[in-house]
Amino acid sequence: MTRFETRIAGYGGQGVITLSKMIITASSLYEGLAGTQTEAYSAAARGGKCWAEVVIDLDKTVKVIDYPKALEPYDFLIILSEEAAADVKPNMIKKEPNTGYLIWDNSTIQKVRAAKKVDKSLGIPIQKMAVEKFGNIVYGNSILLGVFTILSGIFSEESALETIKKFVPSSTLDRNLESFELGKQEAIEFLNRLKEGNN
Amino acid sequence: MNIENGKRFLPEGRHLMMGNVAMAEGALSSGLKFFGGYPITPSTEVIEHLAVRLPQVGGICMQMEDELASINSVIGASLVGAKSMTATSGPGLSLMVETISMAANLEVPFVFCDVQRNGPGTGFVTEPHHNDIGLVRFSGNGEFQVIALAPMTCQELFDLTITAFNYAETYRCPVYILSDAYLGHLHEIVNVPPKEEIQKRVIDRELPTPDQFIKKFTYKDDITGELVIPKPPQMGTDYCPGMFLHQPHNYEGLPTPKPMQFMEAIMDKINKNKDKICITEQYKLDDANIVIIAYGLPVRSSYRAVDIARKENIKVGIFRLVTVWPFPDKRVKEVVKDARAVIVPELNYTGYVAEQVERVTKLDTPVIKIPKVCEFHHPDDILNIIREVAK
Repeated sequence: MTRFETRIAGYGGQGVITLSKMIITASSLYEGLAGTQTEAYSAAARGGKCWAEVVIDLDKTVKVIDYPKALEPYDFLIILSEEAAADVKPNMIKKEPNTGYLIWDNSTIQKVRAAKKVDKSLGIPIQKMAVEKFGNIVYGNSILLGVFTILSGIFSEESALETIKKFVPSSTLDRNLESFELGKQEAIEFLNRLKEGNN
Repeated sequence: MNIENGKRFLPEGRHLMMGNVAMAEGALSSGLKFFGGYPITPSTEVIEHLAVRLPQVGGICMQMEDELASINSVIGASLVGAKSMTATSGPGLSLMVETISMAANLEVPFVFCDVQRNGPGTGFVTEPHHNDIGLVRFSGNGEFQVIALAPMTCQELFDLTITAFNYAETYRCPVYILSDAYLGHLHEIVNVPPKEEIQKRVIDRELPTPDQFIKKFTYKDDITGELVIPKPPQMGTDYCPGMFLHQPHNYEGLPTPKPMQFMEAIMDKINKNKDKICITEQYKLDDANIVIIAYGLPVRSSYRAVDIARKENIKVGIFRLVTVWPFPDKRVKEVVKDARAVIVPELNYTGYVAEQVERVTKLDTPVIKIPKVCEFHHPDDILNIIREVAK
């Protein structure tokens, strides 16, 4: 049993839930892995403190995830709001090779205090990039999916691209694919920095 | 009203679905023709989805003015021969019980999806809480039996909804699907089998045979002594029952001077068929001396807890109730007879099933409840109790 626990936290409207649905679609529907996705279901999803969780079992023989919520420590934690950042503690993230990533948006969050104590933490100005390069914050989702695809490595790039095609309106597909590439580049650079040991 | 088979079934294969949608699709596969409901959190997606899908297949989805109208429309539709269903949450169910009692008296088949939420009263509307387990069992005045199924995955929400419709057709009693706010909004893959396979499983609504012209309601055969459950009568046809239905009635639907016979019929049609109705599952029970008995989502937490405990050489296993009502007493009794302790994690404070388990365990076997409210058990909640018991 090799569970991959992902949690995304932010505020409603940022695309927290959409991103989680993209992740489960890529890994469960296209990659064929067992998975569950849950989300904040209340007024939170429309402007409050919002979260979503995805659990994927990397073992292809597993048909059903037992406990459907994400268990701490997480393999992947994405933080998109100041409020969510305040809740992060260093022991919430796995300390194992090739997993245990903390990703946060440093254009909306000034500081994630726990980030210093997490080996693999990365601040990306996601909202800023999305607005400056593509003119709308919704492209942040595709940037993050690019980052997730490379860092997590739980599904192939083809699955991720299929997912983007399924989720975005066809008129914005090109820009979404561009932002996906941008996310991938960020992640690859980050991995290189990690290898050199100067993150 | 003819169901168009073309659009009734989803294409075979893997579909990523929300729990509530899986339940609605399961109902469509079973040949659902009428849905009457009043939206209520957390069951709203069921009516939302069916409002789109039912007209596609030639059925009717109606948003009624309130819960009373909803359940009455469902019973009415079923009386004229449509497979029908409603979906609601606890507060809706409590409004509907009067009609459910009448439906049980009339032996009208219908399926009831209860997407449970916190209570009493309004409660936390978005939180899961298995607090309708008791209400479901005694849902209405008078004595009657119900069937309640407790799925725990989206796949089961699909499959067990088909089973629920089959039970309703076979046993002519209210059949509940016990979902909850968490399960209803969980997204998982549902493997939809080929439509031929589903069609083979589904029991269609059939007209009564000519020999059932008179015998419209459950009765005990004088010669064999067996209970016979005829096909449900259809209003607007020759089988339209008489006007005395609401009273204890004989097989013709006429008031009976022997209410005991009537009671035997509507109670025993479930009691005597328990073996067929009760679905149970076992997990690592063979050598277990600690037994976990659970239903719904806490089973999933228990799986994890048991897997970890087994690595610590604790002999623990799970007995899962897929059918919660009628309670499978005989099987539970067999499972707990040599147990050192029985653990019952339930997503409520009362422990409705724990009380039933206590009924069949020996006096010196401890039955340990793990109550939870608004949030189902973390595997550690169960694991800690297992370790404590194993000491």
